[in-house]
Amino acid sequence: MNLSPRDPATLTRRHFFGRCGMGLGSVALASLLDDRLRAEDAGAGAGIRPGHHRAKAKSVIFLFMAGGPSQLELFDWKPRLAALHGQPIPDSFLAGKRFAFMDSSFKNRTMLLGSKRTFARHGQSGTWISDLLPHTAGIADEIAVVRSCRTNLFNHAPAKLFMNTGSGQFGRPSMGSWLTYGLGSESRDLPGFVVLQSGPRGPRGGAVNWGSGFLPTSYQGVTLRGKGDPILDLSSPPGIDATRQRRVLDAIRDLNLKRSVETGDPEILTRIASYEMAYRMQSSAPELMELGRESDATLRLYGCDREQPGFARNCILARRLVERGTRFVQLYHTNWDSHGGTGETLETDFPARCREVDQACAALVKDLRSRGLLDSTLVVWGGEFGRTPMGEPREKTGRNHHIDAFSMWFAGGGVRGGQTIGETDELGFNVVADTAHVHDLHATMLHLLGLDHLRLTFRFQGRDYRLTDVEGEVLGKLIA
Amino acid sequence: MSRWLCRALAGIAALGLSGAFAAPTDGPAAPKSRSGPHWAFVAPARPPVPPGARHPIDAFLRRRLAQEALSPSPMADAVTRIRRVTLDLTGLPPTPAEVDAFVADARPDAWERLVERLLASPHHGERWARWWLDGARYADSNGYSIDGPRSVWPYRDWVVRALNADLPFDAFTRWQVAGDRIAAADPGLGTDPLVASGFNRNTQINHEGGIDPEQFRIESAIDRVNTTAAVWLGVTMGCAQCHDHKFDPFTQRDYFGLFAYFNSTDNDGHGASDYAATGPSVPLPSPEELPAMEAWQRQFARLRTESASATGAEATRLKAELAAHRKKKPPVAETLVMREATNARPTVIFVKGDFTRPGAPVTAATPESLPGRRVAADRPDRRQLADWLVSPANPLTARVLVNRVWQVYFGRGLVETENDFGTMGAPPSHPDLLDWLAVDFREHAWSLRHLHRVIVTSAAYQAAATADAGTLARDPRNRWFGRQTRLRLEAEQVRDNALAISGLLDRRIGGPPVFPPQPEGLGAFTQDRREWRASTGGDRVRRALYTQVQRATLHPAMAVFDAPDTFTTCTRRLRSDTPLQALMLLNDPAFHEIAVAFAARLARTEGTDRYRIALGCRRAFGRGPDAHESARLLELLAAERSAGSGEHGAWLAVARVLLNLDVTITRE
Repeated sequence: MNLSPRDPATLTRRHFFGRCGMGLGSVALASLLDDRLRAEDAGAGAGIRPGHHRAKAKSVIFLFMAGGPSQLELFDWKPRLAALHGQPIPDSFLAGKRFAFMDSSFKNRTMLLGSKRTFARHGQSGTWISDLLPHTAGIADEIAVVRSCRTNLFNHAPAKLFMNTGSGQFGRPSMGSWLTYGLGSESRDLPGFVVLQSGPRGPRGGAVNWGSGFLPTSYQGVTLRGKGDPILDLSSPPGIDATRQRRVLDAIRDLNLKRSVETGDPEILTRIASYEMAYRMQSSAPELMELGRESDATLRLYGCDREQPGFARNCILARRLVERGTRFVQLYHTNWDSHGGTGETLETDFPARCREVDQACAALVKDLRSRGLLDSTLVVWGGEFGRTPMGEPREKTGRNHHIDAFSMWFAGGGVRGGQTIGETDELGFNVVADTAHVHDLHATMLHLLGLDHLRLTFRFQGRDYRLTDVEGEVLGKLIA
Repeated sequence: MSRWLCRALAGIAALGLSGAFAAPTDGPAAPKSRSGPHWAFVAPARPPVPPGARHPIDAFLRRRLAQEALSPSPMADAVTRIRRVTLDLTGLPPTPAEVDAFVADARPDAWERLVERLLASPHHGERWARWWLDGARYADSNGYSIDGPRSVWPYRDWVVRALNADLPFDAFTRWQVAGDRIAAADPGLGTDPLVASGFNRNTQINHEGGIDPEQFRIESAIDRVNTTAAVWLGVTMGCAQCHDHKFDPFTQRDYFGLFAYFNSTDNDGHGASDYAATGPSVPLPSPEELPAMEAWQRQFARLRTESASATGAEATRLKAELAAHRKKKPPVAETLVMREATNARPTVIFVKGDFTRPGAPVTAATPESLPGRRVAADRPDRRQLADWLVSPANPLTARVLVNRVWQVYFGRGLVETENDFGTMGAPPSHPDLLDWLAVDFREHAWSLRHLHRVIVTSAAYQAAATADAGTLARDPRNRWFGRQTRLRLEAEQVRDNALAISGLLDRRIGGPPVFPPQPEGLGAFTQDRREWRASTGGDRVRRALYTQVQRATLHPAMAVFDAPDTFTTCTRRLRSDTPLQALMLLNDPAFHEIAVAFAARLARTEGTDRYRIALGCRRAFGRGPDAHESARLLELLAAERSAGSGEHGAWLAVARVLLNLDVTITRE
């Protein structure tokens, strides 16, 4: 499939004049244009498009743990690593590998670091989860933990880019852009691809992580801001109330329509649709952000304060976005980087990050389930890479970036929950079964949404590009 | 839907006009003959101009149109034409007085006179510098995750000056590819060639901790190869980084032959813990600053010589003094330049493009399959590469360049895949016209001004963007260029146009980047939160060319209208249309400030409402309103007045409508 940004075959000028010339009244004319505008409805997506096959999921909520959480403290329990704690890692593991901070961290060989966390099996599935995620343990039978994830790049910004775009190079479209390009948006009032952020700073790399690359910018992620206007320039200028704004918009629409008929340029109709959607967003986005209608029970479930921006509030917003038809919601929560230095220790900082997200993540899955949305919403939890089995002694204890094995979890949206996929070796260094490379995760995500990763392409600089580049296999075990 | 609209539409329907529209690209190109060398890899020869039209472009186009049994659209009206050519040549709209003068000019060469006036405008260089800077991936920050500031704006200003002076494109090319070597060899040329070498310093610099600097030094060299190939050769050389090109006759050896030309420059500052470390640069003191700068440099040289031979306490003292002296460097403009390292690095092929897997050694050379091949005899010298790029034997450079200029004027190139002239690219719609333009350009001393003049004086350029229904049905995509195309203004022009319409535009040319206001908190989504301290005074309302280009967080007014992301070279702008653009033009504080100024201007104009509305339309989109448009705006004005918006409030509504209209942000 090589979709164009818009289908030119809808309203030709001749067609329009043909109808108009037959003496349509203003009501019929209005309805004709309204149909056209509905088809043109802009925002990410320009209407809904069919996928390649029957979709299991309609939307994705990607909970991006920026910085790379340690799988060895959360999901990948390694008793053997604990037994070998303090010993050097065998040479066979390091041959030919490259790591971040090569010069500073590997001058002296670093020693194996056993996890100090307590692990237990949870749910009927008996999924291994550590004591740092008690709420996640409560949804063990809803989630599929994949312990065999792999990626290619070991520094934060390129690895984030890789997780989002399937490439470490700037300029490729992110997965949310590919999805809205492939499927369109189901929302008439809100963007199809929305990004929310919590934590002390933005994710490394910034906007390129949700950029549309060489796809049109209409497919780019729209960031909802915690303070001020949730969307840039959403509020009318000072002194312009809704009535005055509408009067201006009516005149813009009328004059643009007239020009569109004079020129036959369908671009003008798209612009009219954009203005109408912008106007609807002016009321729908504040309504989205207003949690007044959410019950106290719901807020308690998420551990959310109504007014307090943060991860829990963003999780509720993610559910509200999905309810309103947004295709792809991405939540970033930052500062998972655990090297052992100040602010990034495994002793105190890492558990604090876990507390910040654990309850709300579990609440989101439960809430989606109780509202009947989980089956059509794929929830993904994970970071850009994992951490090494070797410790990184700085002021306190930490672990370095690790690309050869890390854990993520998936729920809803056609995923078979209550299972653990993939195995790593006894130290948790390498994957030994069911490798789930980032390209495979992308292929699987597209598959669940009804898209074939081999056929979702866009021609750029003489080549048909895909989210999965020249790789990617659908992970059959993940699918219900 | 108002009764007004139906009346207006009925009026239009009676005229029976038809229009042109942009459409998506064709499917895959037709299968190509395998019998001879690919057309683009054979040097162009000047084809004979067919009979039938005064202007060669029209002669070529009309011959093809006739073969398709199509006829060209008539010339657009005078107002549309002057607005079109003024926006295209200067990036700014014409004033109502300029429009009146042109409409009243009955001389047979009125159009040519207009074109000459615009080509001589200092704003011509600004508009086309922006075009060139897209390819140069120009930015004022270092990119990657830290994205600290850099100073390379003198390169941007040099491009403006070079285009205004019509520096021949061969010299323009040589200086940007090898200006550092040229300036060293010929000091009489001054610093301009050196400044021009900044073209290749527009690569990103990675200051993130934990990286391997060698990896990113190589990334930068790779980007230089890919950018050179895209901008001058219009080929997807990047494919050959990891393997022989699948479709075009470029081998991995060819790729690293080009790479060798870029492989021995000094490090750009990758991996430096000091975010201010941005590699080689040259100070550019003004005549007034020169004595202080020279004195500082003399002292610096003295201290360095002394500390080289000093020992013990003396060495420590001198080291401290040197450090202190470094901080006293006079604050003069600097710009990033290319500089060859003392020792050349040997170049090898990287197996599968992976720099940790060195393969066979390679000699610097231009691609083997392209004519006029040059091979380095000794240390690779970028002058050799530059000479080859603009040599008559080179089959690509002139074609690629004229095609990218054509693309700006018509919305689509004669070769639609402007960055792929290879076998997988689209074949030219008019091969003879492309070659005629390429050879004509080269034979007119590579004069870009000549090329602009040739194109905009054609009837094809001046044609209406509309066509009759039959033509539209048979050529919906305007493949044969029988008419013009409506094009939404580029991001910079959207802003510049609004500033000019309102009268706020500060037309000063050149200088360090400026910081027009932007909404707060944009940096909150980036790794290193950066304050955007908004400029004051005239710098708030300069042309967008001068807005700080911050790679990770482009100014929203630029990003939302498809300004290039600047991470890699961009040879064609996208034109998207989103609700965020509508919100920007309707509500953004900076655009609202423009609307307020425009409203004040209309409100204080002497005359009837009808007159003032006509003036507003003329400022916004060149022409006066027709009766329907005028009536609709009068209706708005009356509604605002009766709603108690006050006189200024009523005109503010009119101003906001005019600034938001499709026709205002579109070059028709």
